[in-house]
Amino acid sequence: MALPPFLVSLGAGAVPAPAGFVELLGLIPSGAGVLAAASDASQLAATAADQLAHCEPMRLNDLGHLLQVMGTFLGLSLFSLGGGNTLLSEYHQISVNQFCWLTSTQFADLYALAEAAPGPSSMLVGLLGMGAGWPEGPGWALLSAYGAELAILLPSTLLMVAACLRWNRLRDSPWRIAFERGLGPITLGILFAVGLKILHTADTNTPGLIVSLLVCVLMLRTRISPLWFMAVAGVLGGLGVINR
Amino acid sequence: MRQLFVGMLQVALSAFGGGLSAWSQRIVVEERRWLSNEEFLTGLTVARLFPGPNQINMAVYVGTFFHGLRGALVALAGMLLLPFTLLMVLGLAYFSFHSLPAIDRVLAGVVAAAAGMALSMGFKILGEYRRDPVALLLAAATLVAMEGFHVRLVPLVLVAGPLAMAWYWPRAGASRLPKP
Repeated sequence: MALPPFLVSLGAGAVPAPAGFVELLGLIPSGAGVLAAASDASQLAATAADQLAHCEPMRLNDLGHLLQVMGTFLGLSLFSLGGGNTLLSEYHQISVNQFCWLTSTQFADLYALAEAAPGPSSMLVGLLGMGAGWPEGPGWALLSAYGAELAILLPSTLLMVAACLRWNRLRDSPWRIAFERGLGPITLGILFAVGLKILHTADTNTPGLIVSLLVCVLMLRTRISPLWFMAVAGVLGGLGVINR
Repeated sequence: MRQLFVGMLQVALSAFGGGLSAWSQRIVVEERRWLSNEEFLTGLTVARLFPGPNQINMAVYVGTFFHGLRGALVALAGMLLLPFTLLMVLGLAYFSFHSLPAIDRVLAGVVAAAAGMALSMGFKILGEYRRDPVALLLAAATLVAMEGFHVRLVPLVLVAGPLAMAWYWPRAGASRLPKP
């Protein structure tokens, strides 16, 4: 099996210093000093992320690459709270900043594609895997896509099966109640952060930003299918009203 | 088993353009009578509670209900086969043609709309926590940690999760909160 994801990210020492620093932050969650120092470094990392020249893909052979993709998503599966959308920021961090599978623009494109396509939006992971394997040719890209999707779904599916079989005992357990009530607010905070992250990644001009805010309000106030919003916005983009 | 596969295929097909849980309720409960309405609602609760995409967890629940792990895998395959194949075709097309200026222009618009959809996710569940200041504080702290300090998701959940669970641990006799 592949290395656990934290080892993989340690192995990414070839990544330039600022990005590497933020990664270390991810490994050392506590400690106020680290947090304070990181806000400087993270700004550097944010600018570095925009210039992809700073992001050097790791040199792995085909199979190694595939295993890396699968190991990464296997480790994240159980953290997909609140239906999986909480992982979007993490996906961006991994595929754009850490492993350089995609540019930030491509990530935004793929997110929109996954939202527009039928089926659960978490199938985005398949597209990210495809992006990771694309430089090695369409065959590896497909393999990598299936591997990524399998990896993100397998652990949560196994846990779900176990939970279903024991639900009667779990239902009244204090652990279940505390988990449900405690993780809810955290999910709420993460979803707001994810929304801002995607908005930042989209990086459109002012008309684009206005469309984003308008869509947000319409999503909350009306029951219009989001496909219409994307279709209309796509036309606006084609006409050059929205660009980036 | 075969019926389970076909049923999930049907759910996935009917749900083109959203509204999946309503569709799966109609097919699983009303048309095929696999589950009672109550069993279905229990499934929805479990699916939301546990990690993983809700719709996929729901398929796993229905599958497990009938045939345990094997049923779950069959249901999952039925649910994902068509949408994922379609997505793979779209993805291959994207990677082949995304550098064409016309495609890129249209995508810029679609991305703006998708960003709006992403932004609405938090607001959608904000109402549930309106009367719980601790929850709002926790959410705000989470947002600041991620936005301001770029804390990664895994350490964030591992540290904040247990703290929040300790606070919300059910105490005897006192139900301070409306059930979310």
